[in-house]
Amino acid sequence: MSRIVMRFTGVGGQGVLLAGEIFAAAKIKAGGYGVKTATYTSQVRGGPTVVDIQLDDEEIWYPYAIDGQIDFMLSVADKSYQLFKNGTKEGGTIVIEPNLVSPTEEDRKKWNIVEIPIITIAKEEVGNVITQSVVALAIANEYTKALDEKILIDTMLSKVPPKVHELNLKAYELGKKYAQESMKK
Amino acid sequence: MSELREIISTGNDLAAIAAVDAGCMFFGGYPITPSSEVMHTISDLLPRVGGAAVQMEDEIGGVAAAIGASMSGVRSLTATSGPGISLKAENLGLAQMAEVPLVVVNVMRGGPSTGLPTRVAQGDVAQAKNPSHGDYKSITLCAGNLAECYTETVRAFNLADRFMQPVFVLLDETIGHMHGKAMIPTQEAVKAGIKLRKTFDGPAEEYKPYGVAQDEPAVLNPMFTGYRYHFTGLHHDADGFPTEEIETCRKLIDRLFRKVDEHRDEIELNEEYMLEDADILLIGYGSASLAIKEAINELRKEGIKAGMFRPITLWPSPEERLYELGQKFDKVLSVELNQGQYLEEIQRAMGRKDIEKLTKTNGRPFSPADIIEKVKEVF
Repeated sequence: MSRIVMRFTGVGGQGVLLAGEIFAAAKIKAGGYGVKTATYTSQVRGGPTVVDIQLDDEEIWYPYAIDGQIDFMLSVADKSYQLFKNGTKEGGTIVIEPNLVSPTEEDRKKWNIVEIPIITIAKEEVGNVITQSVVALAIANEYTKALDEKILIDTMLSKVPPKVHELNLKAYELGKKYAQESMKK
Repeated sequence: MSELREIISTGNDLAAIAAVDAGCMFFGGYPITPSSEVMHTISDLLPRVGGAAVQMEDEIGGVAAAIGASMSGVRSLTATSGPGISLKAENLGLAQMAEVPLVVVNVMRGGPSTGLPTRVAQGDVAQAKNPSHGDYKSITLCAGNLAECYTETVRAFNLADRFMQPVFVLLDETIGHMHGKAMIPTQEAVKAGIKLRKTFDGPAEEYKPYGVAQDEPAVLNPMFTGYRYHFTGLHHDADGFPTEEIETCRKLIDRLFRKVDEHRDEIELNEEYMLEDADILLIGYGSASLAIKEAINELRKEGIKAGMFRPITLWPSPEERLYELGQKFDKVLSVELNQGQYLEEIQRAMGRKDIEKLTKTNGRPFSPADIIEKVKEVF
């Protein structure tokens, strides 16, 4: 595979970091290289957070996504969306939480902006807001087809306590369903 | 090469895992971004092997506890970031003077002062050379990828016991927090490579901890084992008791230098990347070297032959190799996330001033594009 570059953005405290670790670890388990970096501010909560994920069959030296090379971005906070959107390739996909992120009309011409209410899904349909990172994981994999779903899910389950396996599987399935529905639109 | 194992982790966690694999039994410290995960992880690991990790009241207490543990004979670690080193400085000087082995992991962030807590920098390179007042020789290692967060921490423990002094392991925010694959030696290989400090097993009345050859470190038996000696930061004699005797004082500091200087071959470690056919020499270390490697690969696609020299041991510097490279390459570019702290050492070792520099001190990493642009601009 050629290199897949993803960026997840939110604000500190939302828990977008975990999805990046799962992607990187799953790619390594599948054979290859995966690197995740997180950049955040010294604000404990509320500061813009960006997680870069790169997956490749070849070794990856520089661990950050290079602006202009990002295939897929996901954002659950407007401040981070505005700060980091320009790193996405023209024509690339940006999945946003429509209740929290407001793209401009120009943005919609430049990128494939997809609205999925990630936080509402996690909170109301899965029943725990923490699962938003697993909802995001599923959406990102549906769009990028980066990894075999089984390896990704197994890796995800290995990183959460057994008592919440069911909940996270539900979050994954819902994320996948919403992603597939959004593609039909 | 011995067998390697794959681990998926972060640089900070790898440093903690390495310490435990290297036989470290004590951690004393205080949490500080971006190094806190070293403490979190080792606090989980040490009790499982019968060791102890203590979060002390502050940075000073952290290093003091680690020094105390080391004096009782166990391998001991503290971890912090630049502001913590500033606070620990006095005790680090004590450990240099009294010759206490200790590993100090510094995950560098933006400075000076509290600086940029969550952002990357390589601003503590000069500090690592002389964190405390007085004359002594620093041993400072710098990890340039995830695997080295492990291997250099292991090496630091062996060097600390060999030379009986603090050994710094410099990570930075990028390396400390990046998460990915590392191929590292097996636990068995690390255990087989452990070389503990020397001890004296003759009659207690003949024990002279500081009465050693002029190029060798002190032989400090663990305290409470029947071998009594005096422990002080003052100039001291062969028994450790304070003295101002002229020749003893001269010899003590001379020995603190010579024990390192005359055994540089046991300490020096470098990486040379695509240097053989290169026309342009890039020098960098730590996380900056990741962007440099990517830049070199891009430049070569355009027919520009660049290569990299990366010191893994920063102090003492690889001065002979730097001199040779300075003779061989006209075009030299130093790349570091500070205002040129190591550049001065490169200039000194090469004996020339015409070295280009690329520096950055805004808390952001170099991108490969920054380096490519600079190379095209200056050469």
